[in-house]
Amino acid sequence: MIENYDADDTFLARWIAGTLTKEERIGFEKTDTYKQLSIINRESQLLKGPDINTDTALEKVKQKINTKRNKTKVFRLWYSVAAAAAVLIGLGVFLNSSKTYTTGIGETMSVTLADGSIIDLNANSKLSHKRFFWENNREVDFTGEAYFVVKKGDDFVVSTSKGKVEVLGTEFNIKDRSYFELKCYEGKVSFINNNFSSEPSILTKGMKVLIEENKVKKIDFNEETPDWKQGISKFKNQPLMDVLEELQQIYPITFQLNNIDTSRIFSGSFRHDNLKNALQTTLSPMGITYQKGSKNNLIILSE
Amino acid sequence: MPQEPSVCEEKNYNELFHKYYEQVTKYIYYKCGDLQQAEDIVQNIFVKLWQLCATISFSKAKSYIYRACNNSFLNEIKHQKVVLRHQQDVIANTDYESPDFLIEVNEFRTKLKDAINELSVKEREVFLLSRVEQKTYREIAEITGLTVKAIERRMSKALKELREVLGKDIKI
Repeated sequence: MIENYDADDTFLARWIAGTLTKEERIGFEKTDTYKQLSIINRESQLLKGPDINTDTALEKVKQKINTKRNKTKVFRLWYSVAAAAAVLIGLGVFLNSSKTYTTGIGETMSVTLADGSIIDLNANSKLSHKRFFWENNREVDFTGEAYFVVKKGDDFVVSTSKGKVEVLGTEFNIKDRSYFELKCYEGKVSFINNNFSSEPSILTKGMKVLIEENKVKKIDFNEETPDWKQGISKFKNQPLMDVLEELQQIYPITFQLNNIDTSRIFSGSFRHDNLKNALQTTLSPMGITYQKGSKNNLIILSE
Repeated sequence: MPQEPSVCEEKNYNELFHKYYEQVTKYIYYKCGDLQQAEDIVQNIFVKLWQLCATISFSKAKSYIYRACNNSFLNEIKHQKVVLRHQQDVIANTDYESPDFLIEVNEFRTKLKDAINELSVKEREVFLLSRVEQKTYREIAEITGLTVKAIERRMSKALKELREVLGKDIKI
């Protein structure tokens, strides 16, 4: 005979729960299985699971929560520190960044600075200054040639490769190429050569300094504005190499010298608006012939 | 509609902990048989509950805890024997209809514990939740995510198997 508890796969569970029908129960209670299971059930209910200390566990969990939170906090803190440092460095770099103006061969450019000073750049020149807070410390780095009209104010300093030009408010021209020349057209300028042993040179209107053989020479000159501003380069008893260099600043050319003596002295001028004329007015009087090379911009010189 | 208490409030969190920690831990213990492992699993889930407190409503916390612990357990497959003890206040040989049924009480109890451990994990957890933790089939169904019918089947099967193993030791 197949008993209920074998046929019905929920029978025993319902017996335990006390949800058998009366008939089912009475029938079941007559079996040996019932007697055995009663004892198993009874004994099982006397069993006990593990002892668990909830309070200790809660303490542990709160410790875990706090360590995790602290870790993320510390982590986040370092993150913030790193981010802040990056921002500060970035800001520093940015605030410390320079604004640079450059002119190419034959180009000129007029730059008006924040204080109203105007700097006219001649060809192949470079001027740079701090982008921010420049007015607190008027200082520019400069190479090439430029005419400075400086607004009155605190010291205005031009750093060149040969030395510093310090002014209060004045007009002057700096030429810092293979040779250095500073001309003062208005007011007062002081020039401090990089060679510290030399005394600063004070220039007033109509005075210029040159550097020859590492010595600062002070000479008078007589002109209202720099020649280059008129589109002219003038030379007075200057070596030919200065003239050739100047030509290469104004015109996109390169000279091939072929053993020409470039130390011979030249006096004269050339204009900036016509290469052919410029070459002719400078080279012909020196007895130098010239021809275009294979490359467009190469000028081959010969005696 | 009154607002539910927030799990993020420590008072409410503690309440949930006291209410469910022990029973969930036992449930996981009956599955894995390693109390240390069970406690670790449940504690980690309670840590998670705190971190997710804003997203879990107070009324859903119980099912979250059980489900999360269960999932966590499934990831750590490590089934061991459950260590069960008899309650200390039980005096052997009390009011059985016929003490002769028992060959020897202590021996029988040891065999019972062994037999329970021999059950499959599915049956073992249902049997212990029902008989030791005195949970109804409906509660067990809720905990395990199964139907009441499935729980009844597992329970019946567990009883049948226990009888098969222990029947010969119960002389009628």
